[in-house]
Amino acid sequence: MRDVKIALRNLTRQKKRTILLAAAIAFGIYIITMINGFTGSFIENVSENFSNMLAGHIFVEGVEKSETGRTLNIVRNDEELMLAIEETNTPWKYITKRSDLGGTLIFAGESMRQSITGANWEIEEYFKQRIILKEGTFEQMQEEKQGIILSEKVAEKLNVEIGDRLLVKCRTYTGQQNVGEFVLTAVLIDASMFGGTTAYANISYVNELLNLQPEEYMTLGIYLEDMDLIDQAAAALYANLQTKVSMFERQSDDDENPIIAMLEQQDEEEWEGLRFQLMTLNDIMKEVQQIVNVLNTAALIILLVLFGIIMVGVTNTFRMVLMERTKEIGTMRAVGMQRGIVRKLFLYEAFFISVIGVVSGLILAGLTMFILMQIYWGVETPAFMLMKNGYMTFILSPLQVLANFAIVSGLTLVAAFFPSNKAAKLQPADALRSTN
Amino acid sequence: MNCVINSGSLYETSSYFYIRKSEVRVKYYGLIESVVLSFLNNYFKESVLAIVELIDVKKVYPLGKTEVHAVKGVSFEICKGDFISIAGPSGSGKSTILNMIGCIDVPTEGSVLINGTETGGLSDKNITELRHEVLGFIFQSFNLIPVLNVYENVEFPLLLGKSDMSKKEKTDWIDMLIEEVGLSEWRNHKPNELSGGQRQRVAIARALATKPEIVLADEPTANLDSVTSEAIITLMKKINRDLGTTFIFSTHDPSIVEVADHIIKLRDGLITENYRHEDSRACGSDD
Ligand SMILES: Nc1ncnc2c1ncn2[C@@H]1O[C@H](COP(=O)(O)OP(=O)(O)OP(=O)(O)O)[C@@H](O)[C@H]1O
Ligand SMILES: [Mg+2]
Repeated sequence: MRDVKIALRNLTRQKKRTILLAAAIAFGIYIITMINGFTGSFIENVSENFSNMLAGHIFVEGVEKSETGRTLNIVRNDEELMLAIEETNTPWKYITKRSDLGGTLIFAGESMRQSITGANWEIEEYFKQRIILKEGTFEQMQEEKQGIILSEKVAEKLNVEIGDRLLVKCRTYTGQQNVGEFVLTAVLIDASMFGGTTAYANISYVNELLNLQPEEYMTLGIYLEDMDLIDQAAAALYANLQTKVSMFERQSDDDENPIIAMLEQQDEEEWEGLRFQLMTLNDIMKEVQQIVNVLNTAALIILLVLFGIIMVGVTNTFRMVLMERTKEIGTMRAVGMQRGIVRKLFLYEAFFISVIGVVSGLILAGLTMFILMQIYWGVETPAFMLMKNGYMTFILSPLQVLANFAIVSGLTLVAAFFPSNKAAKLQPADALRSTN
Repeated sequence: MNCVINSGSLYETSSYFYIRKSEVRVKYYGLIESVVLSFLNNYFKESVLAIVELIDVKKVYPLGKTEVHAVKGVSFEICKGDFISIAGPSGSGKSTILNMIGCIDVPTEGSVLINGTETGGLSDKNITELRHEVLGFIFQSFNLIPVLNVYENVEFPLLLGKSDMSKKEKTDWIDMLIEEVGLSEWRNHKPNELSGGQRQRVAIARALATKPEIVLADEPTANLDSVTSEAIITLMKKINRDLGTTFIFSTHDPSIVEVADHIIKLRDGLITENYRHEDSRACGSDD
């Protein structure tokens, strides 16, 4: 108690210096906490945004090779797929079936290329919850077979209003030219980075334009109850599907992106009829994970450099403290203070500085995060993928915070140890002779 | 046989006698002799033995390539309860000698005995304990701990070791000391709010906190004006008389030298004079 009291009071002797040192530590902790908080939410936000965009966590697609050597995606009959999902007890929450069409929308002399996703709005509950319509409703979409949902920006550019009819120039599934007509039924507030390039229509009409059968589609998307189950569920489903249909190999090579590997494989190989491929959000996220790893490594390097600087600062500060208090150390030793206690006094002091620094750094980081989380950044920024519906989020694990605290105070103590030890080893007579 | 009054000669005579009788008897008497001598020795130690003894102490400081012979072979004894002044001009070795008695420095040669214990062979831990339990220090520049107030400064040494005092006893004792040095009103003030004289009073109270047998004061009045100096010396003398604490202080102020029971004068690291005042009580007497 006595040691703690003296150490605490010693902190107040050179307030400016204490504050500066604590501020340096606070700054280090602040930066690290911000980066940790950001990368913590990064992966989650990016995968959520991807899953919204791609409509699922696990995707199954049929792949055909045309006579011209093009690979085409199609699911002609999904009985086996559905059976496999049932047999493996896949913990799905929503299942989507979509077809994609690339085409040029034309209205009153204005034209624009769009990717048009055909969806069955009866089963797209998840998507409907996520999309905010500025005008029109999903019910109207279901009623209007040729209905189309454009993003706000596209509608503005084409200068179309609800009820206007747009021409679409596209190609069928097999590559023939085709023309159709859409009715603008709803306008959505850009809720994804790709809102500007994707329009939504009814799958029945999209299939017509693609020259596909009404029950056919291109991609089966499965939303799971929990994103953590992706790998497990995908593995089970893949194993089951292998017994029913011909499947493309799933690459498990860590270095290569599994999707790219699969696409390369499809380009090289020749086959007859329909084969299936299974992809997961995690496969797609592998690339993103690499970015996160880079960020974390950068954070670690920053952390080390910063703490190197802080350690030098701590050591120097305590050298100075030692010089200032040499006589006092001599007095305390003369009066009967043991060496170990002298050392302890300095170490306590260093520890308290690190606690002050860490706590204020954390408070500052918390405040900054809170403020940043209140700001709506919009969805048009390229950083959209990193955010949650246009808001920044931060996820910090208490363990990480604790680890940072332990590292900082550990390093501070190590840095303070050498001057403290020197102080403890001073000969009382020499220390007392000091002119300070 | 002669009537022998001197015990020493008694042994001599009887030894002589018995040597002639038989070897066994010599051995027997030799044993008695040593028992009696050790009893006398112990009795001597208890009452009149020097509380501090320096035997041919030398101190050499290395100074660059040369050496400074600060103390060049000094021997003296200090009696328990005395008020001792070590006097001499600047650079004569007063501080060096006090530091060695205070066990905050070690002699290059010779021995320093505190209560009969040779301090040269003790570990740092034991030396520190010895300082804590037996010695008190008063410094020329007061050396109070700036972050502690008057009460806490006086209390400080008590917190360093194990103490058999209860909390209440401790508080009363410290308050008594503060009262004794006349600073009751300043109990909660920090050192920087006190005058030099007041600071030295705090230092005196602190030096007495652990009830040491010896208080060492290296020029305790050098930083004070003559009136304050006199008051401080009077206070030390009073404590010396009331508590029987041995005070050893260095000074080059001749007027202060006069109040001492025992005066050791130094010049160039050697003793030039070593005497006791005639009117002081006899060394080792209890009054
Ligand atoms: N640490 C040291 N290193 C080198 N020389 C020293 C050291 N301490 C003392 N001396 C020298 O030893 C001699 C005795 O010094 P000491 O401090 O004991 O004198 P003093 O009698 O206390 O003098 P003063 O009255 O000025 O305090 C001096 O010549 C001094 O220069
Ligand atoms: Mg001196």
